Amino acid sequence: VRRLPVLAAALLVAALLVAGCGIQPSGVTEVGDAPPTGVAAGVTLYLVDDEHHLVPDQRETGQLGTTVEALALLLAVSDQPELHTEIRDTSVTRVFVQIVPGLITLRVPLTRSDMTATGVDQIVCTAIASVVQAGASRATKVNIQFTEAPAADQQSLRTCPVIK
Amino acid sequence: VTRRLRPRTGLRLRLLAAFLLVTVLAVAGTAWSSARSATASLVAAAQQQLTDAVTVQVEALAPNVRYPPDQDALDRLRAAVGPGALVTYRNLRSADGAGAGLVTDAVRAAVRTRGRVAVQRVAAGGNPWLLIGTPLMITPPAGAPRPSGIEVYAVRDLSAVQMQIQKVVWSGVRTAGLAVLVAVLVSVVAASSVLRPLSGLRDHARRLAAGDLEARAEPRGADELAYLAVTFNQMAASLQASITTMQRMETDAKRFAADVAHELRTPLSTLTAVVEVLSLAAGDMEADVRESVQLAVTEVQRLVRLIEDLMEVSRFDAGTAELRLEDVDTSRAVQDCLHARGWADLVDFTASGSATSRLDRRRLDVIVANLVGNAVRHGRPPVGVHVEVTPESVRVEVTDDGPGVPERVLPHVFERFYKNDPARTRTPGSGLGLSIALANARLHGGDITAANRPGGGASFVLRLPQGREGS
Repeated sequence: VRRLPVLAAALLVAALLVAGCGIQPSGVTEVGDAPPTGVAAGVTLYLVDDEHHLVPDQRETGQLGTTVEALALLLAVSDQPELHTEIRDTSVTRVFVQIVPGLITLRVPLTRSDMTATGVDQIVCTAIASVVQAGASRATKVNIQFTEAPAADQQSLRTCPVIK
Repeated sequence: VTRRLRPRTGLRLRLLAAFLLVTVLAVAGTAWSSARSATASLVAAAQQQLTDAVTVQVEALAPNVRYPPDQDALDRLRAAVGPGALVTYRNLRSADGAGAGLVTDAVRAAVRTRGRVAVQRVAAGGNPWLLIGTPLMITPPAGAPRPSGIEVYAVRDLSAVQMQIQKVVWSGVRTAGLAVLVAVLVSVVAASSVLRPLSGLRDHARRLAAGDLEARAEPRGADELAYLAVTFNQMAASLQASITTMQRMETDAKRFAADVAHELRTPLSTLTAVVEVLSLAAGDMEADVRESVQLAVTEVQRLVRLIEDLMEVSRFDAGTAELRLEDVDTSRAVQDCLHARGWADLVDFTASGSATSRLDRRRLDVIVANLVGNAVRHGRPPVGVHVEVTPESVRVEVTDDGPGVPERVLPHVFERFYKNDPARTRTPGSGLGLSIALANARLHGGDITAANRPGGGASFVLRLPQGREGS
């Protein structure tokens, strides 16, 4: 007779145990992660105005696309009223791009002498803008390798002066 | 025979139950809390992994999605997220079958208004599901991200996690069961170690109760139970000592009474002879001297009767009284008794049945003489004696028409020297008559009962059973 309450308690506890351990429905909880990004109406290229300032110029391509595509557009761009490029025209617009988190490595089909210092910034800013819009950090650095250039330039890590 | 209590099971069950209860509670509590934390971390890990997978998939495809998107762009995005997905942009919507229907308004509201990744667990079709909702952002090169208006929802099945949790829980339950089993074994051993000395003590107490004053327990160890056994032994020893003392005192008192009676017999017979001589010479004496002599004679006769009664009682006490059974015509024996004492005229004698009985004739005479003598002395005539003999028993009823026996006295009438009225000590009887009558009846295996008749007067009924030899 005395065993009954013990048994009942044991069964109750066991039932609670099994019942309390399934996956229960929950309310809505927000997750700390940043939401995904990467859509855009077009590519942002960096050109130079008459006062030698870098200016973003969005091309309505309909999508953000890749860094390779953005740089190809930049190398192929022609001067416009009030905006110009300080990179010499070239028929080869294909840039080798390697991206790891925090670092973009570029191999451009030009020599260092094919562009001004602002022209180098044009390339750096366009590359950084394309990865930042796709969700990368604004602190990403760029390593540009020219077809021929002083050794010091080959190793330097550059940042864009207008993207901070 | 006293009712035997249910042996041991009560205490053993209680000990076992207490042990079991404590173990079950402890094990269940531990298992429950660990299973809960395991569940929580499993679910959290699964949620994190599924959510990360969705955002990574979306982010990988986003640069190739046209913006503002058309239906085709939404379909491609939805396909990239996998089965059970819903992608919306303003009025456009790309849904994939069953899972998309589970997306709740609560999640959509959280994604739309807060612009954050939101998750919710729901149950559907008996399975747990995880709803993941996220807005797709536009991040300008310079400036804060803003919602693009594209929202991606994914529905993921959590059944696999559920099964993993159940495995954890069942292994916990199995472990708990084993622990309880071990606890039962341990508690059985522990209970036995407590109950074995107890049952030994109970056996000794039972022997003591049955009259074996030599019963002693053997204390083992140095715990409370051993102390109990020692105390029990002390109790038994002091009980034995006091009972022995009482028995010795009682024996001494009885022997003293017997010795006194015996020692008084010789001088008393001399005294009787002297008194008889005196009474013969009384005729020549002065009147007042003669009266004194008569008084002396009466008192000496009473003293002789008292001594004889005392000796009779001593024989009963010493256990030396013997039954001498013979075939007796009961009604004739009673009549003889009445005639011998000169009561034939005072008594209404009736009898029914006249078979002979196996009785001790002398003792029957003593009983009847005492009962009738008592009625003649204390009651009023007519005294009635009715004898009824059946093959099973002899019944002799003695009645009188006196005031009866007071209710207060009735339970004590058979006690030795019991006096109804303490002031009236000088009655002709010795005060032992009814007690001797009862002792004789009991020797036959019979009994005497005293009662008052409804119409007044006392009634003493003697019953002697037949068909048994001695007692």
